[in-house]
Amino acid sequence: MFLKIEGLKFRYKNAKEETIKDFSIDINKGETISIFGESGSGKSTILRLLAGLEIPSSGLIKIDNDMIVNDKNFVLPEQRDVGMFFQDYALFPHMTVAKNIKFGLKYMNKKQKNHRLQEVLDLVNLTGLKSRYPYELSGGQQQRVALARALAPKPSILLLDEPFSNLDTDLQTKIRKELKKILNKTKITSIFVTHDREDSKSIADRVIVLNQGKIIDKGKPKDIFKS
Amino acid sequence: MIKVRDIKSNINLWSILSLIFIILIVLPNLNIFINIFNESNQNWNHIKEYLLKDYIINSLTLIMFTGLFTIFIGTSLSWLISVYDFPFRNFFKWGLILPLAIPPYIGAYTYNGLLNYTGVIQSFLRNFYNIQVNQKYFNVMSIKGAIFIFTIFLFPYVYIITKSYLEKQSSSLIENARVLGRNSMETFVYVVLPISRGAIIGGVSLVILEVLNDYGVVKYFGIPTFSTAIFKTWFSMGDIDSAVKLASILMFLVFIILILEKFLRGRKKYSYTTSKITPISRKRLKGFKGKLAFSFCFLIFSIGFLIPTLQLIHWSLLTYKDILNIRFVKLIVNSLSIALISSVLIIIIAIVIANYCRLKNNFLSKIYSKTTLVGYSIPGAVISIGVILFFINIDNRLYWVYKMINKNSAKLVLSTSIIMLIFAYIMRFLAIGYNSIESGFEKVGNKFFEASRTLGMGITETFIKVDFKMIKPAILSGFILVFVDILKELPLTLILRPFNFNTLSTKAFEYASDEMIQEASIASLIIIIISVISIYFFYKAGNKEEV
Repeated sequence: MFLKIEGLKFRYKNAKEETIKDFSIDINKGETISIFGESGSGKSTILRLLAGLEIPSSGLIKIDNDMIVNDKNFVLPEQRDVGMFFQDYALFPHMTVAKNIKFGLKYMNKKQKNHRLQEVLDLVNLTGLKSRYPYELSGGQQQRVALARALAPKPSILLLDEPFSNLDTDLQTKIRKELKKILNKTKITSIFVTHDREDSKSIADRVIVLNQGKIIDKGKPKDIFKS
Repeated sequence: MIKVRDIKSNINLWSILSLIFIILIVLPNLNIFINIFNESNQNWNHIKEYLLKDYIINSLTLIMFTGLFTIFIGTSLSWLISVYDFPFRNFFKWGLILPLAIPPYIGAYTYNGLLNYTGVIQSFLRNFYNIQVNQKYFNVMSIKGAIFIFTIFLFPYVYIITKSYLEKQSSSLIENARVLGRNSMETFVYVVLPISRGAIIGGVSLVILEVLNDYGVVKYFGIPTFSTAIFKTWFSMGDIDSAVKLASILMFLVFIILILEKFLRGRKKYSYTTSKITPISRKRLKGFKGKLAFSFCFLIFSIGFLIPTLQLIHWSLLTYKDILNIRFVKLIVNSLSIALISSVLIIIIAIVIANYCRLKNNFLSKIYSKTTLVGYSIPGAVISIGVILFFINIDNRLYWVYKMINKNSAKLVLSTSIIMLIFAYIMRFLAIGYNSIESGFEKVGNKFFEASRTLGMGITETFIKVDFKMIKPAILSGFILVFVDILKELPLTLILRPFNFNTLSTKAFEYASDEMIQEASIASLIIIIISVISIYFFYKAGNKEEV
């Protein structure tokens, strides 16, 4: 088992109820998992807990048999080797595309950094745009830069928070296919959160349906969305 | 239950430094509270019996009347500027902020110089028209004069806050009142005044805190208030206990004012949640009405800025040959360097606490935030007492260290150094830097921080590479605000400066107190020019943001 989550519970400050109630799941290496649910179901919170941006009240997370969080341990986000794609991309506005992507490559030398930059730019089809600033890019291009930036440090797991929500419908279909291709090519273990069943259907190997912080269904997309 | 894991994940450079800074801010204030209950001595009995009543009555008279007059002037001007168009409106829009560039103590001796027997007005009347005026109508050095000075140089607080509220919040209500057949006056009385109550009270409480903080005006005019009394008890009588008791009563007064402000503002909230801001369509005032509006604005602008500035320029031309020498250059260097060092420290501390607070956003961070902001409400005289006691205490405890370093070391080292003054500046002006940086962080939000953390950067690396670059404008504006405030500051500098250390403000005040009003003009003008530049900078920056 590559990623193990067991009995995860979480409550936001001042919230009456727990946002995440006893969430458990095992994920194999290279698998693409979709967490599907309405807004407010707690799906983004799962990603934040995995990334280390929130601390669970109980439960444990293990990545590749390393304890990331339990009652005694908490590995800081920067030490988790987890990449995250943010819903509104969070591209640093004061950095060019190249600098955004190189941001996470701090342990590489200059040559390695440039090599990796070229690799991920090729992967997301953005060669030629590396000197642009985020505000000089279209929505689709920004989305790809965000993906390239998250993939660049070769994280062990990639988390994607509503990767298509800011794109118009035509672009969504196109980029869904592209993302599927990229995930297959990199063979990275990934979890993405969505409220759109088309996303889950076309990209995920397995779907987890979340409602009010609880798993209410899980399985292959064709079984979950048969109706 | 608190888990060891949670404590560990919360301890980092930022949380440790924040805690240290907060303790350092709180300790001197605690000194005052601890000493309140010391047994009263003879001095205190004397003060209580014969003087305290005057201090209370004078301080209350000053804040009450200054409060009322600044409300009148500030609100009416903000109404005129926001709702009407008349000649030179665009100029007055920012010109009416300029009186803030003149510290009231400079305004006080300038007006005294203008209006006294040898001043330009009386000389003119005497020499050209042979008119001898009754001195009592021209004597500004009284409590009425002080109210005039405070009103005319502090009303912009009410004006700025109310104007920006009216511009942002009220257009639809004002237009509705007009459509419903109300005329301008009725709209002002029945709609504008009630809805902008919170803004007006916010502005006037800043005015009141400034009046309570003042030492220069009341000392120069010879009005016994809490500030002058604390200074006198400390310096002339050498009586720490009584000074502390006075300071604590003043703190109590400030406390009541802050509670009153919260109560008056907080009962009803009128601000809208909608983010759509429609600017008010301004009504053009033609003919007599236009001239009247212009005249009112011009009158206030002249009294609050133009006349005193022209007078200071005139005096500067008379005295510059004697004043501008190497000693004056040293004065400028002193002023600028202490303001620079203190502002840099304030901004660094504000960044550390603000960054900690935004990342944690819990009960503790709320306490930190409130503690940081409280300094600005504490009058300078009170901060001085707290800081002196704190530093003497440190000196006593560190005496053995001083002796180890230098056998003949004096007992008081830190408390006779410039460090004490810088520390006091930090306590008083941290709130201004903090406010600016906090709003900078608020604008940027946490998403870039989080993105950077998931890309392998720690909190400090993230701050240097991401946050710092994104909140640069907020850092710069916070720095300028603090810098100018320190340059103008008088009470703390007067009481806490090391022996023979002068700044532009203390020198100007010293000249004026020694009946050398004309000699004080150049130092005053430099302070005013730097303040005007910073006000202009903010006016422009503010406008850009609104667009």
